[in-house]
Amino acid sequence: MSKTSPNAAAQSRERRVWYLIAAVIVAALPLFVTDSYWRTNLIVCALNILLAIGLDFVLGYAGQLNLGQSAFYGLGAYSSTLLVLKLGLPFWAAFAIGTLMAGAAGALLSFFAVRLRGHYLAIASLGFAVIIYQILLNWISLTQGPLGIYGIAPPPTVAFPGLPQIAFGDLRNLFYLTAGFTLIVYVLLDQMVHSPIGETLTAIREDEVSAASLGIDGPKWKAFAFAVSSAAAGAAGCFYAPLVGTLVPDAFFVSESFMILAMVIVGGMGTLVGPVFGAVLLTILPEFLRSLGDMRLIIYGASVTLAVLFMPGGIVEAFHLLRHRLFPEGEMR
Amino acid sequence: MNPAAPKQADPPTPLLEAHRLCKNFGGVRAVQDISLTISAGTVFAIIGPNGAGKSTLLNLLSGVYQPDAGEIRFAGLDLVGLPAHRRVRHGLARTFQKIRLFKQLSVLENVLAGYHTRHSIPPLQYLLHGAAFRADARRCRAGALDLLEFVGLAHRAAVPAGSLAYGEQRLLEIARALATSPRLLMVDEPAAGLNGAEVAALLRRIANLRERGVTIVLVEHNMDLVMTLADRILVMDYGERLFEGAPGEVQAHPEVIAAYLGAEAL
Ligand SMILES: Nc1ncnc2c1ncn2[C@@H]1O[C@H](COP(=O)(O)OP(=O)(O)OP(=O)(O)O)[C@@H](O)[C@H]1O
Ligand SMILES: [Mg+2]
Repeated sequence: MSKTSPNAAAQSRERRVWYLIAAVIVAALPLFVTDSYWRTNLIVCALNILLAIGLDFVLGYAGQLNLGQSAFYGLGAYSSTLLVLKLGLPFWAAFAIGTLMAGAAGALLSFFAVRLRGHYLAIASLGFAVIIYQILLNWISLTQGPLGIYGIAPPPTVAFPGLPQIAFGDLRNLFYLTAGFTLIVYVLLDQMVHSPIGETLTAIREDEVSAASLGIDGPKWKAFAFAVSSAAAGAAGCFYAPLVGTLVPDAFFVSESFMILAMVIVGGMGTLVGPVFGAVLLTILPEFLRSLGDMRLIIYGASVTLAVLFMPGGIVEAFHLLRHRLFPEGEMR
Repeated sequence: MNPAAPKQADPPTPLLEAHRLCKNFGGVRAVQDISLTISAGTVFAIIGPNGAGKSTLLNLLSGVYQPDAGEIRFAGLDLVGLPAHRRVRHGLARTFQKIRLFKQLSVLENVLAGYHTRHSIPPLQYLLHGAAFRADARRCRAGALDLLEFVGLAHRAAVPAGSLAYGEQRLLEIARALATSPRLLMVDEPAAGLNGAEVAALLRRIANLRERGVTIVLVEHNMDLVMTLADRILVMDYGERLFEGAPGEVQAHPEVIAAYLGAEAL
């Protein structure tokens, strides 16, 4: 009977334990990773996880392929940076506006693409990514085009009375900031997908006509999922600018969307934890292959192809299969 | 006049009224000038040969299509222009002739999805589950299991909906539609593909629903089921209304026999 009625309270407790474990890992990582090169990679990892879980929310749950993630990433990065540079806004205000702007752009895109499904929505979002890239490249008076924006300052130092100051020029602190933010977003998304919102989005993914017959407003929920997804990308962009210190349009070229898609697919879409593994793997692995130059792209392509062909559920499915092999009668959950 | 007529004492209150509905697909007049009045607490059957327009009529009533002309009123509310998902909140639910379950989700999850309009969770608890969230989850889960019990699928709650036998899938669609707590349930060929015992069980369940006060619109080819259950029957042919009446009148109507019951009745 335990299989048909798993205790919801126990599941929710188990989830909280996992959140805690993740928090401990985040807290401990900089203790083991001390050189600045790898600390920078850890931060890039955190941002890629943010981009990937955002994409998975709309793709894995609502079933809508969003290939505009690179554009929302760029929107967040450029708008927050320009708000600080041109209007003198404080970083965190610019962060909030940049994130919301990306989210609103996502909702609008979904709203106009509401009649498009499957390939057409994917193509519309891809078109959006191309347009945003071209704007970043050609609106030179605003973005300085291919020359880029240089010398972007880190987020302002935080000082609590009686405690040492926290400066985000320090990579350890910047890691805690970005990874902590990513963890919070993960927890919020995880809570949502394990709520009736998750049921609603998967119902839309499975059959929109059927979902409507249960009172589900497909266009509204798709716009919601798109907004959440693109806001996550926008937030990642807001952190990207001060991390790198430089913004050039090429960082937000359309291929970035496919990189993020690869992370989701390799990790296993439709589970939030999958894209985390996918993002870590596809961020860290290429660092070991740096000497191979453009071979890195081939690694990306090959891993996605292999995942789609042999393991459509990605790393998460591989893990489950392995566990099944090792403990055949041990029921999961 | 008719001594057998059971409950003609007080005039029944109409729950759903349609007036001169029309729907064309290109040159095909799928529904033409159909008017109907469905009383609360009754079973209203729609029969007719293949392609007569029964499913299209159901799609008009449920909001999958909007009519080219005509009116639909549900408990006094004008439904024309209202999208399908908005009609659910007013108490309309339906199943599909071509089964449309969420195949990858479990049987229980399919029914839980039907609770979409019936949750009571404070918005912030979607982001951080609290006591009210868990209470809502328990309530919906218990309700969903009750509905699965009602259709005889409780023992299948954990399996993917796609792995159910055909007849079971039809029953699951009914349970999922009932999860919206409808006042009017429209079922499109619920007995298609069911064996004799399953049809008998289906008949009991529909009768049971009517006793609970749910009004039923039944599109069905199985004449035993229709004649046993229906209070009123609308006979359609080529998108048009051929006849409407009580089961006895329909069986006696020469045109209906010719057009539809045909050899079976002779
Ligand atoms: N979406 C559509 N597009 C074009 N034609 C349609 C569409 N839906 C139905 N039709 C046509 O409308 C007519 C009525 O079809 P409908 O499905 O309503 O019949 P039905 O009475 O339900 O038949 P059956 O008993 O076979 O289910 C048919 O000629 C059908 O081909
Ligand atoms: Mg039909």
